[in-house]
Amino acid sequence: MRRGFPRLLSLLLVTALLTGCWDYIEIEALEFVFGLGVDQVEPDYVVVVEMVKTSGGGQQVEVEPLVLATKGKSVSAAGRSLSNPAGLRAFWPHAYVFLMSEQVAREGIVPAMENIVRSRHIRSTVWVFITKDCTAEEVFKSKPPAANSVSEHLNAIALMQETISGFIPLQVWQLSQAFAAEGIAAILPTVKLVHEQGDLVPIVEGTAVFKGDRMVGWLDGHESDILCLLKGIIQRCYFVIDTKVGENEFFPITYELVGNRVEIKPQDKDGKLSVSIALDLHFSVEEMGRAPYSFRDEAFARSVQAQLATAFTHWIREFLSKTQQEYNADILGFGQLVRRKEPQVWRRLGENWDVHFRDLPVDLEVKCKVTMAGLSSEPLRVRE
Amino acid sequence: MFFWQKTKKNAPQPRGLDDLNPSLEINLHWLKADILASDETIVYRRFKTSGAKARDCVLVYADNMVKHEFLSQFVLRPMMQSSPPKHLRGEELIRYLSANVIESDGSELVARYGEIGDKIMNGVAVLLVDGCPLGIAVDAKGWPKRAVTEPPSESVVRGPRTGFSEDLGVNISLVRLKLSSPNFKTRFLYVGTQTKTKVAILYLDNVTSLDLVEEVARRIDAIEIDAVLDSGYIQEMIRDAPYSPFPTIGHTERPDVAAAKILEGRVAVLVDGSPFALTVPYLLVEAFQANEDYYNQWMVGSFHRLIRYISYFITTSTPAIYIALISYHPQLIPTNLVVSISASRKNVPFPGIVEVILMGLVFEILREGGVRLPRPIGQAISIVGAIVLGEAAVSASLVSAPMIIVVGVTGVAGFVNPALNDIAVLIRLLFVFLAAGLGLYGYVFGTIAIVLLLSSMESFGVPYLSTMTTIRPQDIKDTVVRVPWWQMRLRPRYLATKDRQRLQRRTGSKGP
Repeated sequence: MRRGFPRLLSLLLVTALLTGCWDYIEIEALEFVFGLGVDQVEPDYVVVVEMVKTSGGGQQVEVEPLVLATKGKSVSAAGRSLSNPAGLRAFWPHAYVFLMSEQVAREGIVPAMENIVRSRHIRSTVWVFITKDCTAEEVFKSKPPAANSVSEHLNAIALMQETISGFIPLQVWQLSQAFAAEGIAAILPTVKLVHEQGDLVPIVEGTAVFKGDRMVGWLDGHESDILCLLKGIIQRCYFVIDTKVGENEFFPITYELVGNRVEIKPQDKDGKLSVSIALDLHFSVEEMGRAPYSFRDEAFARSVQAQLATAFTHWIREFLSKTQQEYNADILGFGQLVRRKEPQVWRRLGENWDVHFRDLPVDLEVKCKVTMAGLSSEPLRVRE
Repeated sequence: MFFWQKTKKNAPQPRGLDDLNPSLEINLHWLKADILASDETIVYRRFKTSGAKARDCVLVYADNMVKHEFLSQFVLRPMMQSSPPKHLRGEELIRYLSANVIESDGSELVARYGEIGDKIMNGVAVLLVDGCPLGIAVDAKGWPKRAVTEPPSESVVRGPRTGFSEDLGVNISLVRLKLSSPNFKTRFLYVGTQTKTKVAILYLDNVTSLDLVEEVARRIDAIEIDAVLDSGYIQEMIRDAPYSPFPTIGHTERPDVAAAKILEGRVAVLVDGSPFALTVPYLLVEAFQANEDYYNQWMVGSFHRLIRYISYFITTSTPAIYIALISYHPQLIPTNLVVSISASRKNVPFPGIVEVILMGLVFEILREGGVRLPRPIGQAISIVGAIVLGEAAVSASLVSAPMIIVVGVTGVAGFVNPALNDIAVLIRLLFVFLAAGLGLYGYVFGTIAIVLLLSSMESFGVPYLSTMTTIRPQDIKDTVVRVPWWQMRLRPRYLATKDRQRLQRRTGSKGP
């Protein structure tokens, strides 16, 4: 017992301590990568990163972004070769965003994102964006007004999605599911640059529509909001609608979406497949402007609700025709629903779903209700 | 046990065991030449009784160990004025004087030279009368004593302000004042071949297991040391797990704490000359308890206790976790923080581990420097050290700013648990080395090792982690939190083996 103990102990220590990997590194030898972008896949990969350059020491700490771009035979090779111009080891786990340029998206994004999805260095919570009308490098080199770096700026925007609307954010861990699922086309949010007081500022607005792994078109901010509605994602968007309040009087009234219930059902009637969408939308009245009416007037409230339903029906119809006929990309996942609810039909039509989807009849029923009209306070009146 | 120690202890001291001689001159000769030789503080006061047959007397005592006024008033004056009957001689005379003349509450007869020596050394005056082979030992102890003051090491905001002093008798009476019951027992032992220090064992015999009392007495009896100058000697000689850094015997400077521990079924040991009472058995939970927890409202007390646990975690683990995070796991630090730590370390020449050890050392030096200095200087030192040195070190890029925070937090959190603060330094160092070598993995290894060590320890037969490893509701009521008094109806099961009832019935506040 006593003689066996040291042997047992040394065996335990050796197995416990010497069998792992030893990755000691001093923290100041790291260059933290905040954002990663792929601008080109063929013939060479062009990888752009946004790093933060820290300096100071002592009591003054200065942080400034640093954008580097390299070429390589693959994303990981290019990424690693970045340590060379950077002079420090690139450290990936703190990355916020992953950008792909429109060119990459149009050519198919699998080669660009395969490494990102599987990498143990990159977090699965990294936001993924497609850059519209610009390259990732240009985005990283633009100047956000408040944040230190573009990546932090984009991260902050993505986190505010529920209130600023206009896009549907997506993280790396959702990528493989979004692109691999059967009967639903993938979408990714887009980043574009706008001029703001002489500086180019990156904003997140709109959606890139994919078919397979290739991008087929864009949706703008408003269309993205409609997409949100139909997907049942809670997003408190504002809709400014010219509301008819009198004989020929129209006033722009701002409505905030406060609740939406959506039910999409595939129907198979006599071998004819259709999809019915039932939308139940709740609004609050945010701003009435000059409109001289009060929502205490029930007739007015009813008329407004009817007008809202008409407006939304129109928008949704437009949206559906764009996705069905123009892009022919099933981003609402009708195919997925059919596959789940009507497996026999899917077996019959699944092979040629694109063709069937193009002309799929959609029954639309939109109910709108103004639930929070601000009844307790009267609209502002000016005595004439 | 070596044979010469045994023989030495029993060897007769020269003249020590001899009986007194009837002749006063011979007695004085032996005292001066042998028993109390070469000691110029011994006073030999010669005087005579009055009456027809005046007897020669000598009062022997050690200067400044007795109350001089008392001796003059109640021994010398009545003796000088007395005229003992002529026919009395020898032992009868002494008994007459002791019974009829000496006006002292404590007096006894002594017959041997050795006894006289011991008594005089302990502040007792001995009266020798010519023609008598006996002396009268008059208890007139009166040496300078410190007043009962608030203990500096355990000050409280709310609670009694008395603390033990160096006098055993006073200390026992302070405890007895708290536990005035006939069940409160004291037992004396003498330790130290040179000092013969009086040691008292205090317990409640209707609560405490007598086996425990016997075990304490046995261990104290077995001590063979020349001197006991403080209870620390006894603490180290009788403790369990002598090679473990964790304390297995508690010590307190407060009678209220000692009384509370005795009430829970523990045994207190008081040592003459030491203001620190020892309490056994000692469990790890006690290190996180403070007397104020019980005097304050129970929620407040529980919160403070929680703070103590958290602080101990902070003081032992912060540097190790910091090292592990910045050297192995930078991905676990929030992004903004990791960037600022990285920036602040840019120009620092040393790796994290060197920084931690350097700053930890500086902190310990400052602390040690401040402890032994008079208070105003100590404060100046700590201000100079903390502010000026820290600031300068950061500006000079010797250490990084976050390290100052880590070391500062570590140091301050350590003071929350004075009982375990000294050990915290060792644990911290162990953790830091493990974390520097293996990251969080190593830190977890260290934690496991400490827990294993703790759970293997015992204090006087009671497992060291008792009440921390149980789920019995009655036993965990006084661990991480302190439940209200009306909830703690029983005394701890592992200590109070006899009478476990603390509350007779639901009394006081209207508990649920």
